[in-house]
Amino acid sequence: MSARTLVVWCPDWPATAVGIDAATPGVVVAERQVVACTAAARAEGVRRGQRIRDAQRRCPRLVVRDRDEDAEGRLFEPVVAAVAALTPKVEVVRPGLCAVPARGAARFYGGEEALRVLVQDAVVEAGHDCGTGIADGLFAAELAARADGGRVVPPGGSAAFLAPYPVSVLDRPELTDLLARLGIRTLGEFAALPSGHVAGRFGADGSLAHRLARGEEPRPVAPAPAGADLTVELAFDPPAAQAEEVVFAAKRLAAELHDGLAARGLTCVRLAVEVAFADGSAVERLWRHDGELSALAVAERVRWQLSALPEGGTSHDAVWGGVVSLTLSPDQLVPDTGRQHALWGRAAVTDRIARAADRVQALLGHHGITRPVLTGGRGPGERVVKVPVGDLPPERRGDGPWPGRIPDPAPSIVPTEMQSAVVTDAEGALVSVTARCAVSAPPAYLTVGGGSPRKVVGWTGPWPAVERWWDPERARRTARFQVVTSDGQAYLLAVENGRWHVEAVYD
Amino acid sequence: MFEIVRVVGQTAAVGPAPLVAASGDRVPVLPALRPVVPGGGLRRGSAVGVAGPGAGSLGLALIAGVSAHGGWCAAVGLPELGVRASVGMGADPGRLLLVDEPGTRWADVVAALAEAVDLILLAPPERPPASVVRRLGALSRKHGCVLTVTGPATAFWETTALRLRITESRWSGLGDGHGHLRGRRAHVVAEGRGAAGPGHDGWLWLPGPDGTVSTAEAPQPEHRRPTLEVVA
Repeated sequence: MSARTLVVWCPDWPATAVGIDAATPGVVVAERQVVACTAAARAEGVRRGQRIRDAQRRCPRLVVRDRDEDAEGRLFEPVVAAVAALTPKVEVVRPGLCAVPARGAARFYGGEEALRVLVQDAVVEAGHDCGTGIADGLFAAELAARADGGRVVPPGGSAAFLAPYPVSVLDRPELTDLLARLGIRTLGEFAALPSGHVAGRFGADGSLAHRLARGEEPRPVAPAPAGADLTVELAFDPPAAQAEEVVFAAKRLAAELHDGLAARGLTCVRLAVEVAFADGSAVERLWRHDGELSALAVAERVRWQLSALPEGGTSHDAVWGGVVSLTLSPDQLVPDTGRQHALWGRAAVTDRIARAADRVQALLGHHGITRPVLTGGRGPGERVVKVPVGDLPPERRGDGPWPGRIPDPAPSIVPTEMQSAVVTDAEGALVSVTARCAVSAPPAYLTVGGGSPRKVVGWTGPWPAVERWWDPERARRTARFQVVTSDGQAYLLAVENGRWHVEAVYD
Repeated sequence: MFEIVRVVGQTAAVGPAPLVAASGDRVPVLPALRPVVPGGGLRRGSAVGVAGPGAGSLGLALIAGVSAHGGWCAAVGLPELGVRASVGMGADPGRLLLVDEPGTRWADVVAALAEAVDLILLAPPERPPASVVRRLGALSRKHGCVLTVTGPATAFWETTALRLRITESRWSGLGDGHGHLRGRRAHVVAEGRGAAGPGHDGWLWLPGPDGTVSTAEAPQPEHRRPTLEVVA
C-alpha cells in the first residue's frame, strides 16, 4: 500500500517562469522545440514537442521565449514556501510540481478534501494558479492534481482512478508505441496483464511502469530542504532622485548579499543588477563576480550602470523620474573554494583592461565586448569564437584534422552575413557544381552584390564540404572556390544549392 | 656530420620583445613594416588612416605588430575582422578586444578603450562630426593610444597624420582551376604629414605563404611559370 500523497501542480510552469501570462498565447522553447505552452496557445492547437515553425503557423501572434531553468527553480520557491507554511516536508519533484506526505496533515486539518482546498488556496494566494490532488502514490496524485482543478482519490482507489487514462501518461514513448500495437490503450488494460509476464517481456523499466499503472508506488516521497533564494532587494520610497543615493544603498545591499553567500559557503560567478525606475522601465546588467567584487566594487558597477543610461533626463543627476527599486541577484552559485592567482603564465586581463571592458559593458551590455578564442573548423568564420569579456572560454577541444579546411593564409575579412554573388562563365551562363563536384564551366566573370561584373583571372576549386549531415536542421552541403579578379582582389566563394556567396575576402 | 640550416625570415619576431619597446614614444609595428612606416613605429597619440583596397590586411598587420610586442589592441565596429589572419601575422588573440556593434555609442566606447589599450582599429559607422574627431584625438593623445581609422569615414577624419595604403598588389598561387592562394605581394605606401622625408614605401608579402608579413622583392613584369606541355 503506497503512502497518501498530496501533489501541487502549477500548469505550464516553464511558461509562467519566463513571464508569459496564461491568457497570452505563448510558448517556451528549448532546442527549437516547444517544451511548454500557455492555455491560450493550446486552444490554438499548439502542443508540446512541436517545432517553433509549426507552432507559429497555427498561431501567428505567438510569444516565443527561450527556456530559463534557473528562473523556473527560483520562482517556484514562493510556491514551496506557501505549501511549507501549512505542512513541512515538501519535496520539489521538478519546478512546477511538488509533493507532501498527506496522512498527518489531513488528520490535522480535518480531512483530505479540506487539506487539498487549503493548500490550493494558499498557493493561489501566493500568486500562482495551481491544481492539487491527493491519492495513493505520487503518480496517481499528480494525475489527480491535473484532473480539472484537482480531486481526492479515495484510499485503495488509485487503480480504478488510473484505469481510463491512456498509456501515454506513463511518459515512455517506446513502451506506449509497443503497447498500442499490442492493442493495449489504457492503463487499466496494461495493469490487467500478469506482472511476471510484463517483467519478462518489457524488462525492469516496463515492470516499473506496470507498478505505476496498478497504482503502486515505485518509491516513497523524499523531502529535501529547498535552497534559499539569495537575491537581495531594496525599494526606495519615495523614489531616489539622485544617483548618489542609489549607489550608497547598493553598497549596503552588496554587503548583505555577500553575508548571505558567505553564510552558506557559496560564491557566484555572475551578479545580476536590476534597477527599476518610476516610469516602469528597468535596466538589468550581468557583471562578472567570481567572488572578487567587494561591496564597494558592486556599488561602483551600479554607478556605471546608471551613468550609462542614454541622456534624456532633465538635469544631470536626476535619474528618469527616480529609482524605485534595486535588486542584486547572484547568478550561477558555486561552492566557494577560494582563489589562487597565477604567479606567471598566460596573459591575464590587467586591471586597466578590465576597467575599460567593464565600462564598455555598462554601455552596451555583457555581450558588447568580446575576446576572440581560436577553435577548430573548416570555414573561416567557424575558426574563431567570440567570448564576452569576463566569461570563461569554451573547453579547448583538440584541433581535429578538418578535411577540406581552407589552407593558409587566412582571409582578412570574414563578413558575418554572407553577401550574395553571381559567377558566370565566358558565355554568361551561371556556373554550377554537380553532385560529383564537376564544374559546369570555368568561372569567367564575378559580380559581388550589386556591382559590375569583373573578369576572373585565376580560380581554384571546388572544395566540397558536407557538414552535419546527421542533423537535418543544420546540415550544409557546400563547395568553396578561391577566385582572383582582374582588379587584384581575391575572394573565397561558396556555392550552396546553386546560390553563390562571398564567404570571405582576402583584402 | 653537420647539416647546414638556412634561417629564413626575421628571427627577431620569434619571441615577444621586452615591453620597453612598447613603452617608448612609438607603438611598435611588424619588423617588415619598419622601413615603410616613418620612424619605425606609430607615434603614440596619433591617428592613422588605412583605406582603399587591402585596408583589411593593413589594419590586421598593425594589430599584429602591437600584439606581438605585448601590447593590447581593440577593434571597434568591425564584426568582419579576420582574427585568424591577424594571428597568422603574429597577433596574440588573448590581447585583443572586439566591440562588434557599438551602434551610436561608438565614440563613448572608443573613449573608454583609449585609456587602456595601445591601438584601436576603428570603423566609424557614419560620417563622424568634427567635434567628436577632435575629442577622440585629444583623448588618444592624453593616453598615448594610436587611433587607426578605416572604412569609408577615413576621408573625414581630419587629424590623421599618416595614411597607409596599397597601391599595387599581386596574388600568387592560383592557377586556372588548380593551386590555392599562397601570398600577395603588395606595394605599401605611407603618406601624410607624419611621413615627411624620403619615399616611404616598399614591397611586402601581405600575407606571405605562411600567413606572416615579410619583405618582398618587386615582382618582375613578365614572370610566368613555364607551361607544361604534353610531350608523349
